[in-house]
Amino acid sequence: MTALSVSSVSVGDAVTPLSRQVSQEQINAYADASGDHNPIHVDADFARSVGLPGTIAHGLLELGILAEAISSWAGGSANLRSLSCRFSKPLLPGDTIICTGSVTAVDEAEGVATLEVGASSDRGDRVLTNGRATVRLSR
Amino acid sequence: MLRAAVPDQTHVGRRYTASGQRIAPEAAARMAAAIAGPDPVADPDAVPPTFAAVYCLAPTFAQLFTDPEVGIDLAGLIHGEQSFEWPEPVRAGDVVDATTEIVGVDLKRGMTYVRLAMEAVRPADQAVVCRGTALMIVRAAA
Repeated sequence: MTALSVSSVSVGDAVTPLSRQVSQEQINAYADASGDHNPIHVDADFARSVGLPGTIAHGLLELGILAEAISSWAGGSANLRSLSCRFSKPLLPGDTIICTGSVTAVDEAEGVATLEVGASSDRGDRVLTNGRATVRLSR
Repeated sequence: MLRAAVPDQTHVGRRYTASGQRIAPEAAARMAAAIAGPDPVADPDAVPPTFAAVYCLAPTFAQLFTDPEVGIDLAGLIHGEQSFEWPEPVRAGDVVDATTEIVGVDLKRGMTYVRLAMEAVRPADQAVVCRGTALMIVRAAA
């Protein structure tokens, strides 16, 4: 897939929002795929014993969904140059994560766009905050 | 009785290395499917950027979390922040060397904040394919 061209991207442009309901089955599949079997993600009784409301999604699963949203907008994941965020609130099984982003700067000389990105849940929690991404643009 | 180890400033500078991590196409596809969940995989030919969890974080964090001298308690561990940079895209079949270093340990409000810096290098061309930082928060033992 091709990168967006510098001339086609402006400050304020928005990433197409990506909504995805995350089930416990998906969290289990992510535990297998990532090798992160921490019981707070897969064992509800254990999660409650450490003060959580139940199992919670892996932060890196949420970040992976956010990366997908940005990559789809940017013309493929090879154009995603950086991504960072804070895991502010847990995403629970059954929640829908809603990933968003908008362009805050375009460096025409470098061919890079900077975006403010984040994610919230359908319960209104801001799950990924302080998010920032950079994507490669074509010239 | 000896007091169990907990992370402190003396652990800053410890490095955990996992050489020869192969970007297995089937493992990358498994992660892409896990991220997609109920939806079709967006980019079936690509290695998901956050597959760095597998080739960089998992093999080095496993060493950190089992380092008896640092004594991180997994049961109380919270992943607070994460940043990734991918200077060069990683491709299926690549082999990379991964390193994680403890770069900071701070005690705040009864919790220990462990800052980590990671890097994955493809020795074939010396390209850095991933660089990142993570903040791990260790809650105080009850």
